[in-house]
Amino acid sequence: MMDDQQIRQMLLDPKTQRQGFEAAVRQYGEQLYWQVRKIVLTHDDADDVVQNAFLKAWNALDTFGGDSKVFTWLSRIAINEALDLLRKNKHRLTVSEDEYSVASSLLADPYFDGTETEALLQEAIAQLPDVQRTVFQLRYFDEMKYSDISHMLGTSEGALKASYHIAVKKISEFFKLRD
Amino acid sequence: MEEEKYISDKLGRRNPFTVPEGYFEHLTAQVMDKLPERRQKARTVWMRPVWWAAAAVCALFVSTAAWLAWPQASDPSQGPMAEVVVQQQPDDAFFDEAADYMMLDNQDIYACLVSEY
Repeated sequence: MMDDQQIRQMLLDPKTQRQGFEAAVRQYGEQLYWQVRKIVLTHDDADDVVQNAFLKAWNALDTFGGDSKVFTWLSRIAINEALDLLRKNKHRLTVSEDEYSVASSLLADPYFDGTETEALLQEAIAQLPDVQRTVFQLRYFDEMKYSDISHMLGTSEGALKASYHIAVKKISEFFKLRD
Repeated sequence: MEEEKYISDKLGRRNPFTVPEGYFEHLTAQVMDKLPERRQKARTVWMRPVWWAAAAVCALFVSTAAWLAWPQASDPSQGPMAEVVVQQQPDDAFFDEAADYMMLDNQDIYACLVSEY
């Protein structure tokens, strides 16, 4: 298993780029998938996003200067891709918004193994604005540091802390109203 | 944070999502199969110095040849007044000669140079 530094060196050398990229996909593919899956919720969407994100990263390899970690760079691309998909889906859903429930569609999804309460948590998260939603997923489930999220999203740590605080408050209110 | 504790006590932090069997084993191959070959960035190609030198020599040669051939048309021995006369009263022979010079090509220059020696 290669470390981030070794992969970075391979990506910067045209002779070893493809090999290095394959190592990056093998090393970070699963981790990126879970980050994306928690944002887009369904397996099919997460799969599409991850494949597109890797393709975009490959085509934009010249823009990877080697200053940031490979994982951070890939995460940024994948999360942006996931948020783009959400915006497209939101646009499509406006017509039948009243009939759509995240919790019920998750409970009917063969690749969701959660309880009704866990499905409701996903519904509460899905109602948050993009940044709050992403920060909550990365911080609450993945326990990522604010500094890492900050590099990934290009937002200040202070703004991220505020977003997380608001997200937690909204989610707890969502459940308190149901208690 | 009190609210965070409320959420984690009530819901935990378990990942409730699953994937099709063997999905991650095939992910790398699926991604790599879709990647196109990378095109190398366009490289600026500079003309080699030897070609610059050759081009300069050729230009010098052509201009020298043209200059050597030109005095026949404006002979200084005829004086400045003669030039004025020529300019004021052009005849067909001058135009023919001038046109010939203007249409000089390399072959003509070589022929001209050979004939002078």
